[in-house]
Amino acid sequence: MSENFTLVALFQDVNHAAEGIGKLHELGIDDHHIDVLSGIPIKGSILGRPHFKTNVPRIGMVGAGLGLCLGLFFLQGTPLLYPLHVGGQGLFPLPPTLIISFEMTMLGLMGFSFLGVFIESSFPAFDATHYAPEVSDGKIAVFCNCPTDLQEQVTNALTAAGAESVRPVEAHLP
Amino acid sequence: MAVTANPLPHAHPSPGNTGTGKPEEAGAHHEEHENHSEHLMLDPKPRGEMNAMAMESMLSTNWKFWVVIVILAVIVGYGFFYQWAILIIEGQGVAGVTRPDYWGLFLVDVVFWIGISHAGTFISAILRVMKVEARRPFTRAAELMTTFGLVQAGLSVFLHLGRVWLTYWMIPLPNQRTLWPDFHSPLMWDFMAITTYLLSSTMYLFLPLIPDAAMARDRSTGWRKLFYRVLALGFRGSEREWKHLGTAMNIFAVAIIPVMFSVHTIVSWDFAMASRPGWSSTVFGPYFVIGALHSGISAVLLVLFIIRSTMKHMEYFLRLEHFDFLGKLSLVISMAWAYFYFNDYIVPWYGGDVADKELLHFQEHGPAAWIWYTMLICNIAIPWLILWNKNWRRTPWLMAFIGIAVNIGMYAERYIIVPVSVTVTRSPFIARLYEAAIEIPITIGMFAFFLLLYMLASRLIPLIPIWEVEEGQAAHSLQKVGKADIVTLSELE
Repeated sequence: MSENFTLVALFQDVNHAAEGIGKLHELGIDDHHIDVLSGIPIKGSILGRPHFKTNVPRIGMVGAGLGLCLGLFFLQGTPLLYPLHVGGQGLFPLPPTLIISFEMTMLGLMGFSFLGVFIESSFPAFDATHYAPEVSDGKIAVFCNCPTDLQEQVTNALTAAGAESVRPVEAHLP
Repeated sequence: MAVTANPLPHAHPSPGNTGTGKPEEAGAHHEEHENHSEHLMLDPKPRGEMNAMAMESMLSTNWKFWVVIVILAVIVGYGFFYQWAILIIEGQGVAGVTRPDYWGLFLVDVVFWIGISHAGTFISAILRVMKVEARRPFTRAAELMTTFGLVQAGLSVFLHLGRVWLTYWMIPLPNQRTLWPDFHSPLMWDFMAITTYLLSSTMYLFLPLIPDAAMARDRSTGWRKLFYRVLALGFRGSEREWKHLGTAMNIFAVAIIPVMFSVHTIVSWDFAMASRPGWSSTVFGPYFVIGALHSGISAVLLVLFIIRSTMKHMEYFLRLEHFDFLGKLSLVISMAWAYFYFNDYIVPWYGGDVADKELLHFQEHGPAAWIWYTMLICNIAIPWLILWNKNWRRTPWLMAFIGIAVNIGMYAERYIIVPVSVTVTRSPFIARLYEAAIEIPITIGMFAFFLLLYMLASRLIPLIPIWEVEEGQAAHSLQKVGKADIVTLSELE
């Protein structure tokens, strides 16, 4: 069984990058062994890549639910703990309940969505990893993890697709 | 579509292909050149060049910058912190507040700064949801105003509290007597709303900053490298990271809009829930929101002018089209503000309540009448006289003047609502004209504090969201339709 290695191909534009990814697929390299880095968000469909799912909305909805419960507790629960009668108003007033519940729900939604980015992206990630600083200069980096015996074929395919450079890459700090 | 690191081929006339000399071709090239210089989205530069421009604008400081920083720091130290210490030690007696004017300049400051904070959310969130492309280069400059404006608003609340060491009584936890805060009170709604808005707008500022922090990380050394590495959280630009980030930003853009509206509505309820002349109004909620947008958008105009005039390369990113766009927005909002003000004015005027009529007469003819007229001139007359004209909207210094005038007008409006309105009560024997004392140096210190924070931030984080600009430039192109070049926008998001 041959060892795997990782190489990175840098593309100037998205059309060539999409072509390069297509050639990797033709060589039998599946999407799990391909990683694409870019300086701006690019839809997966443009690159011929699968649609990535994100759990950020679900995590956000959990936060919204918790926030709503907290808001209801403040207005409907705390008067039970210490009844405080304010002149002319009920002990469990509806309008303030709506206001505080709304604020807490939105805070929960946004706070947990924020946390969701951290959880889903494994932030903060300060360990050594595969990275190409040229990405923030607008290049599109296609990382390919493949068996050593395919190295020449992969390099030729990516070069033929228009890659500016194809080089083996080691993990390092971004 | 072409997402390239080089200038887009269709958006730049290539050298050597500048036409054949025919008049119609010369005209077409002239039009194309005008399109490029007019629209940032049609005048792309290589991403590396834009990154270098953003970095240089952050790193370039001269002695004048540091002199201003020192002056602001002295004003903040003496005007804000020292005077606040006196206020804490001596008590609220050193302030101008006494009955019936318990709410003075500190509350004016609260409302004013929350108004300023509306600019960021409006420009960044609402315009993002509506996909208004002109927003791209100045969203972060506006979001920074939101965060720092809310910091000042929060500090103003603490100043007003007097016994600031008891602030924790407002936190929703039971005290030593197991007594919870009273959530019936509009002031508690205010506390919850401002806290929600401050936290969410800070998170919303941070999320789109992550890719730019990664860009700065790749180009920095020394302590800045460490700073940006921490700020970027290890962002690499992978498809998954963009997906999670984009989804969260969409959630924020939609969710923060009703929060923005709720915050200033709830601030208005601090007043409107009280049954007193000048305050008890059902139109106060939307009137306050429009007022906040009026001052916020105008403050963005002023900030953009200062950034463009003082920071390197900003003329490339902040163009006349952006002043024109914000000028139109400001004109519409000024008209909306006038509409709501008239609504708020006409009902008590027509109603004939004695105290209401006395208050209106006091505003128009009393010793504070000049503030009332300043409000009307600055909020209505000046914007309407200037902003209808396209050439004037495209004159940056004139737009900065509008920014200053409207904010003076909006400060005057808040002054009329808070201390001037409480002067006239249903108990005339206690009527007294409010005179600010220690509030004045503290307020000046607060303005200096805002500027100081903003200036320091401008040297620490890229004020231009470079990746958003590049994304917009990748989506825009010119298409020949008949004899004209038409701007087209591809749906890449």
